[in-house]
Amino acid sequence: MKRGNEATNSHFPKAYYYLQRNYTLQCLKIAFIMVTLPSDMDRRELKAYAFLLPSILLAAVFAFYPLARSIIGSFLTVSQSGRILGIAGLGNYISLLHDPAFISSIGNTVAFTIPFLLLNTSITLLAAALTRKETRGTSIAESIFIAPLAFSLSALALIFRGIFRGSVSIASRITGLDIAWLEEPVSAMAVLVLMGVFLDFALDYILLLSSFRSIDRSILEAAEIDGASGSRIFLSIELPAAASMLHTTIFIALKDAVLISAPVMVLTGGGPFRSTETVMYYYYLEAFRSGNRAVGTTIATLMVLSSAVIMSLVMRRRRNG
Amino acid sequence: MARIIRTIIIALLAAIMLFPLLYAFSASFFPPEDFTASEARFLPSHISFRGYALALGHRYFGRYMLNSFITALMSATLRTAVSVLAAFAFTHLSFRGKRIILTALLATLFIPPDAMLYENYTAIARMGLLDSYAGIVLPSIFSASAMLLTMGSYAAADRDIYDAARMDGTGDLGYIARMLVPLAAPVSITVFIQAFISSFNSYLWPLLVTVRPRMRTIQIGIAMLGFAEEGEYGAQFAAIIIMTAPFLLLLLAARRLIMKAISGGIS
Repeated sequence: MKRGNEATNSHFPKAYYYLQRNYTLQCLKIAFIMVTLPSDMDRRELKAYAFLLPSILLAAVFAFYPLARSIIGSFLTVSQSGRILGIAGLGNYISLLHDPAFISSIGNTVAFTIPFLLLNTSITLLAAALTRKETRGTSIAESIFIAPLAFSLSALALIFRGIFRGSVSIASRITGLDIAWLEEPVSAMAVLVLMGVFLDFALDYILLLSSFRSIDRSILEAAEIDGASGSRIFLSIELPAAASMLHTTIFIALKDAVLISAPVMVLTGGGPFRSTETVMYYYYLEAFRSGNRAVGTTIATLMVLSSAVIMSLVMRRRRNG
Repeated sequence: MARIIRTIIIALLAAIMLFPLLYAFSASFFPPEDFTASEARFLPSHISFRGYALALGHRYFGRYMLNSFITALMSATLRTAVSVLAAFAFTHLSFRGKRIILTALLATLFIPPDAMLYENYTAIARMGLLDSYAGIVLPSIFSASAMLLTMGSYAAADRDIYDAARMDGTGDLGYIARMLVPLAAPVSITVFIQAFISSFNSYLWPLLVTVRPRMRTIQIGIAMLGFAEEGEYGAQFAAIIIMTAPFLLLLLAARRLIMKAISGGIS
């Protein structure tokens, strides 16, 4: 009797100790059992969670956690070393709005976004519309138009720096303009816009082309038999059919333009005279170079908001269309 | 007449889009004096292989390329696997909280990674993962759009095959590996290609989380080879051509597949 009691008493802590010591092993075992044994409903439910675990963990750690920290941080006063000094309320937002560098970075972002959207949309639409019918020549054109896809951002930036370098650049020779392209605010922004188009062109071209080509051939043939002219077919059948994709590419380009930072960094470094310093590049400079957490978290929160607005406009249109 | 105008416009556009590539190719054969000529050149005065010799002889060039390939391969493989698992759970299993979890995961589409740079950087630093492949790869693995894309393809999978496989005693992992992934292979290939390209080309994140030269990827390394500082622009263009050529050849060889893969991602 006594012996048995002892055994049961000592058994529990021992098992507990064992479990604790081999905690990791146990977790692995449980995970293994959950995934491999097909059985009743409860276990199947656990299994579903196990399949989702990597996604949930990664989304939590690298999307929701930093988002929460950014939002909370934007309402706090934090020291350089990350210590919370007090609650700022809207203080960070108000001082950001009084920060002339931030205001001018908004202006620079707008000055990039508008010409970029106009140029990018018209050129991609033109290229896709002209090559939408497959003939012998279009496959060569197609290959050339998707070639920029092979270039990475930094490769393209270095090439652009080479083309527009100094006052006797190849670009000056071709255009006949005697400009030191990257040293004047207006021309530096123009080069940045041009590079933005090169970065987005191939992708948008492929999307628009595929939406043109996915139109039912029989409708087009019927219109042709009815005697509709090529331009009439394009304007009243093909363009409306591609409108939904066009809308998507425009909004994705808009989101990319509003969030532009890396191309600025590699092409102009924000210069000359901070004329190409966009909002996200200002965020990068403040958060990483100056260690200014308040500005960093506040801009991050504002940018999440604005990109969420743009994205929900895309989604709404896609759901309706 | 209309056809001639069309051809001219296409040729003009093609010339513009091709110009940076042609210039980079031509400049990679420039001897050093061609870069400082008083009149900017398009073709080299004589063909020089000095740039290629310098680029290939650089002690870190091969290492940078290797780092880029390893991280891109890791990122693409893991993203494909994570997307397959999640898509399977959402399309084939029923469980409590399905709607909430799906909504939460899709909500990440609204969080731009560029705005999370600083917080993610501090998180990776606190995990002690700076200067490691894991640090470069981890934040890019989960992608809601890749998951969504995979789900779209798995939703169409025949449920009878799944039920039959379960009757036969095949586990879910066996079903995924032997039936689901092979049957819906195009979607996984699409996810893989997109992830590989975006990881290989990523610039800002690897720049932030790598400090030692040995861990840099080619995208950030190419500007840090030091050629521009020494006036060796030819070597820089040669390095760009070496880095871009494999992708360009792959792109042209598999043009149809890649165009399909990309347009499958959004429509």
